[in-house]
Amino acid sequence: MKRFNIAIAGLGGQGIITAGTILKNAALNSELHDVSGSERRGGAQREGYVEALVKYIFYDSLDELKDPRKNVHSPVIQAGGADVLISLEPIETLRAAYYINSRSTVIFSTSPHLPISVRMKKDTYPAIEEIVKELAIITPKIYYYDFNKLSIDNFGFLTPRNILALGVLFSKTGIPIEKEIVEDILAKGSQSENNLKAFYLGLTL
Amino acid sequence: MKNLFVDGKKGDRAIVLGNEAIARGALEAGIGYASMYPGTPASEIIIALDKNKSRIKNLYTEFSLNEQISLHGAIGASWSGIRSLCAMKNVGFNVASEPAHFLAYTGVKAGLVVAIGSDPGAPSSSNEQDDRWYSLHTYMPVIEPSNIQEAKDYTEKAFDISEEFSFGIMLMTPSRLCHNAGTLIFGDPKERDNIKGDFKKDPDNYLNLFSMAVKNHKKYLERYELLKRYTAASELNRIIKSDSRIGFISSGIIYAHLMEAFRMLNAGEHKILKLGITFPLSEEFIKRFFKGLDEVIIVEEAEGFLEFQIKKIAYEAGFKGRIYGKDIFAAYGELTLDDVITGISRFLKKPTPVYFDEALNRNSATCGRIPQRMGTFCVGCGHRGTMYSLLKAAGFSNTDGKGRDFVIAGDIGCYTLGLLPPYNAMDWLTCMNSGLSIAQAISLADKDKKIIALVGDSTFFHSGIPVLMNAVQNNANVLYIILDNGWTAMTGHQKTPSTQKDVNGSAIPNPVNLKDLLRSLGVSYIKTIDPNSVKRFSVLIKSALKEQGIKVIIAKRECILQEERRNKLMRLKNPLQKPEPQAIYEIQKERCAKCDECFVELACPAIQLKKDEQAGPSIAGIAKEYYYIDPASCVKCGVCYEVCPNSAIRKVEFNLTGEMDVKRSMGKLTELIITA
Ligand SMILES: Cc1ncc(C[n+]2csc(CCOP(=O)(O)OP(=O)(O)O)c2C)c(N)n1
Ligand code: SF4
Ligand code: SF4
Repeated sequence: MKRFNIAIAGLGGQGIITAGTILKNAALNSELHDVSGSERRGGAQREGYVEALVKYIFYDSLDELKDPRKNVHSPVIQAGGADVLISLEPIETLRAAYYINSRSTVIFSTSPHLPISVRMKKDTYPAIEEIVKELAIITPKIYYYDFNKLSIDNFGFLTPRNILALGVLFSKTGIPIEKEIVEDILAKGSQSENNLKAFYLGLTL
Repeated sequence: MKNLFVDGKKGDRAIVLGNEAIARGALEAGIGYASMYPGTPASEIIIALDKNKSRIKNLYTEFSLNEQISLHGAIGASWSGIRSLCAMKNVGFNVASEPAHFLAYTGVKAGLVVAIGSDPGAPSSSNEQDDRWYSLHTYMPVIEPSNIQEAKDYTEKAFDISEEFSFGIMLMTPSRLCHNAGTLIFGDPKERDNIKGDFKKDPDNYLNLFSMAVKNHKKYLERYELLKRYTAASELNRIIKSDSRIGFISSGIIYAHLMEAFRMLNAGEHKILKLGITFPLSEEFIKRFFKGLDEVIIVEEAEGFLEFQIKKIAYEAGFKGRIYGKDIFAAYGELTLDDVITGISRFLKKPTPVYFDEALNRNSATCGRIPQRMGTFCVGCGHRGTMYSLLKAAGFSNTDGKGRDFVIAGDIGCYTLGLLPPYNAMDWLTCMNSGLSIAQAISLADKDKKIIALVGDSTFFHSGIPVLMNAVQNNANVLYIILDNGWTAMTGHQKTPSTQKDVNGSAIPNPVNLKDLLRSLGVSYIKTIDPNSVKRFSVLIKSALKEQGIKVIIAKRECILQEERRNKLMRLKNPLQKPEPQAIYEIQKERCAKCDECFVELACPAIQLKKDEQAGPSIAGIAKEYYYIDPASCVKCGVCYEVCPNSAIRKVEFNLTGEMDVKRSMGKLTELIITA
């Protein structure tokens, strides 16, 4: 059995759940593939913490798939168990760093969203360099971009930032999914033109 | 594109949510009735059916006004011979518990399943209650799926069990399963052509008075014994054999955590009992599992519902081994995968991997250091206007830290977030309509306090009307603010009786006239205000508090998310329509005194802090950071413009000819209130 775990973290309205759903839909083509993963959806409101977990499972054989000791999987990722962490908010990256280990890849957005305690000057918001430094203690594979700015500059609005991050996921990590399958999913979905453009742009970052 | 939820056939695969799998299971079981009062994490169960109902023959769906009505509705459908599904969140069952306690007495006709979303760790709830305990007195059997596939398969099966033994079934799924999205393999749905109600009288079962009730009590205890025997042979309960003298018992999502923990720890192959039906338990079956075991570990979330039952069976069976449970796993909070791994590792003395320990340690170190992120209202939400107005009327400010002396009763909905900083605008928060219910009594007990109770429209219609009548009848002295945003917003925007217009623009046929309703309940002080007119609103609050008795202010402004969704749809529909004149709001750096009135007191998330690239150390007097309004998130509600005491926020209006008109925010709010 092989596995590949991805944790996606961010805030309500950033397209975290959608990104997870796209990745999951890319694993429907074989009986020996399984995928699942819990979501923290937050309330109806924007701006709260949101998380989508993607756990790919690739069985070696049908016997393994039928073995009750092997075919049941937790919907969450254990501490340090993610191969990749994607985060669309800098300090949420630190919070979700709980999921990573020394071999994980981290992809994160540098556009901060200040929590209220920071507004009230009860807490300080760490500088991006601090965040990178802290992540670097865990893993050397860190990629960060201002996805908000990239989105606004290239599309005029923020929506495609999650798809940009997916592009980076496919260029910088060994995700065992063919990127053509994701392209196909994006092409069939809504906003396909922008999404494909964002995905390709992400691949080049 | 093919809609698999509706058209899926045996063997089709799709990515679905746990909740959608439950809904699909119900569809495969041939339900004709589905209802709920919304509640996280269960809402998507009925949403999935409701949004597809035009394509599903003979399906009735309903978002009921509360859970009690919703369950009664499902009972009515079942008695009419229609399989029915009723969904709710954990605390919803408290409201539905009255009909639930009669369901065993009357029995069902067609299968009836109550799907309950529990919320360990309370990420979306005000408590962590485990509704499985209700089964001990309602005698509703409890079924617990462990993954998405079982969520569908067990739901379907639950209808058969319900019919065979004439009990309503509790299908329990925690948030982690409700909101687990992954692969589901479909089955074939039942034929839907013949779903048709046919109510037949059944006085023997449906009439419960005096000895009739006692007779039905006896009858269901007999059915319960039969059901117990059934569970011993059911495929939903499984023993995974092994020669090990250690046995593990688990159910639901925790079973999935447990199996993963075993693999991760290379913990060997122990004997395992997976319970799909966790109430009732068959003594014979549990005894069979005990055979050859010295130690039994029960792995479950919350207070030990299984442990309670199993220890009793073990005692009666004279089991000599040891049974562990809540001495290993906490009875509160979410029982996470990591908790299960840690517990099993300690018990079996199998070390956890180094990367796992490192991550856990790192987490406990970072937790305290990173600023917490708590939810807040959406940009432009009227609830923010209400909280701000309330606090200004109370003379309360975050920046000068002055306490407020008003008592503010909280209640359940998006507006509950007003209890968090920076507003801190609630003094209690428990269950629905505890706001005015408790406030009215405080107003009678402590006549010196100024008391305000908040309620959302959906919460008001859920069970607030009798509370308000009670308060009026007993001369309570409370200012009751109904935050009427036209939707049950928190749970994903279901309609309420005061919804006027659907998101697609169509008018709702019979919205309630809230004012008329209030008048008929005996309320004489009724005012309506736009909560985003914060100056007027705070003046109104002050003057209302001077009156005796029950005063009602309707803070009326539609949930901005819904309004924006509608606007977007309308724009797509009529691309040629003339755009509305546009305005933008901007903070003028040089006028802004960073007094924090907009940034902290109002705390609109669209107002942000930006580094000033030009302000090097050489330019004296200019701060390195300044406040600005992010045009990508601002929805132009204008509240910040109204609250700025330094006229630093300006409104730039564009009309269609491209002319600009600049206005400055006026006046000081504090002054205005003093003169009012
Ligand atoms: C008994 C019970 N049922 C359901 C819920 C779930 N719930 C939480 S908030 C909410 C919606 C409240 O809507 P409303 O009062 O209109 O406030 P809004 O979210 O629109 O601000 C619901 C149904 C609950 N907490 N308790
Ligand atoms: S969802 Fe609607 S009611 Fe809830 S915070 Fe957002 S705008 Fe306000
Ligand atoms: S006008 Fe002001 S208060 Fe309203 S959304 Fe924009 S920044 Fe926020």
